[in-house]
Amino acid sequence: MAGCEVRLAGGWAGFDNAVERISKLPQDLFAEVCQQIMLHLQCKTPGVNALEVAERLQTAGVELDLEATKELIHVISLFFRSAAQSNMSAEELIVKLTDSSSKWSKQVLQVIRHVWNEQGKQIVTPEDAKHMLTVGQLVDLQWKLGMAVSSDSCRSLNYPYVTMMLKVADSSGEIISRSFEMTIPQFQNFSKQFREVAAVLDMV
Amino acid sequence: MAERDGRSLSGLLGGIAQQVYFHNTDITEQQLKHQLFPDLSQEDFRALLEKMTGILRSIASADMDFNQLEAFLTAQTKKQKGIAPEQATVLTKFWKNHKVKIRESLINQSKWENCLRNLSWRVDLKTQSKRLDQINTPVAIVELELGKNDQESEFLCLELNESKVNQLLKKLTEIEESISALSYTS
Repeated sequence: MAGCEVRLAGGWAGFDNAVERISKLPQDLFAEVCQQIMLHLQCKTPGVNALEVAERLQTAGVELDLEATKELIHVISLFFRSAAQSNMSAEELIVKLTDSSSKWSKQVLQVIRHVWNEQGKQIVTPEDAKHMLTVGQLVDLQWKLGMAVSSDSCRSLNYPYVTMMLKVADSSGEIISRSFEMTIPQFQNFSKQFREVAAVLDMV
Repeated sequence: MAERDGRSLSGLLGGIAQQVYFHNTDITEQQLKHQLFPDLSQEDFRALLEKMTGILRSIASADMDFNQLEAFLTAQTKKQKGIAPEQATVLTKFWKNHKVKIRESLINQSKWENCLRNLSWRVDLKTQSKRLDQINTPVAIVELELGKNDQESEFLCLELNESKVNQLLKKLTEIEESISALSYTS
């Protein structure tokens, strides 16, 4: 979902159709989908699983295939994200939506207003999160223990350090790698924290 | 050497360290002279500053321990245009007090890769899931803040289940063993 320019105005051929499909959803189902999308935009979950959503909708009797579901999620995410970036109030968002298409149903707009009022503020916008890289699953961790011997400002550095290379899979399955260095005390703290995490996981 | 001279030299060394190791641009040569050695001529002050800077740099670069320091400073006192024994005493005391901080600064100066600026975590419990076997499974959310030099931080947010955390712990233990092995050989 990253990297898409957002225009809430019409001018996108499939937009009206997408809006029509959204407007046909039962209110409580639509609210559920919005909720999932919100959690993702707030960076509380790694992503919205379109397949799961599609299955959920089909179980509830809504005729939407996977592609249409993906599009639905995409449209809703885009307008929430755009509204967050422009710091819109719920009213402003509703006005913008009704301007963009005549196909929005009253019930759907009601859900949007409600969800936005409750949770809109917690969305992580690119300004807050320009350094927010990704939320993902740890795929691999490699490490090395090195010794800095000498440098141009110090002939006798002699300090050991740990370098870690992490491979992380984001919600789209793309794998990114990041490496970083730690001094020994920093590594010991890192270790200690993870042992605490393990202890809590064990307890829960 | 009067106590005042000792303090002035100590102050001078502090000023040099600020400029060279702590990147403090507020301290200038003029200020140092004015505050610490107002009676010295410009030339004499400059010579003193250069000599002391050179000596401090040598000491820091070699990360001298106190034996090496004593030998080094004694040699300096024997040189022509070297230092006075009282100055050697001031230098020794200065290094004793500032060695750790200066070394830290030197280490930081040679760190050009990402470092871990912060680590925060929480444990969540999944209470709803399409898959029944995922209910009540705890999951750890860990946020790593990474950054280099003066650049802004990058955040890496990871979701780890218990099994992943245990795998990670195994690796951490391997690293700890390597570190111990290093201490025995060095």
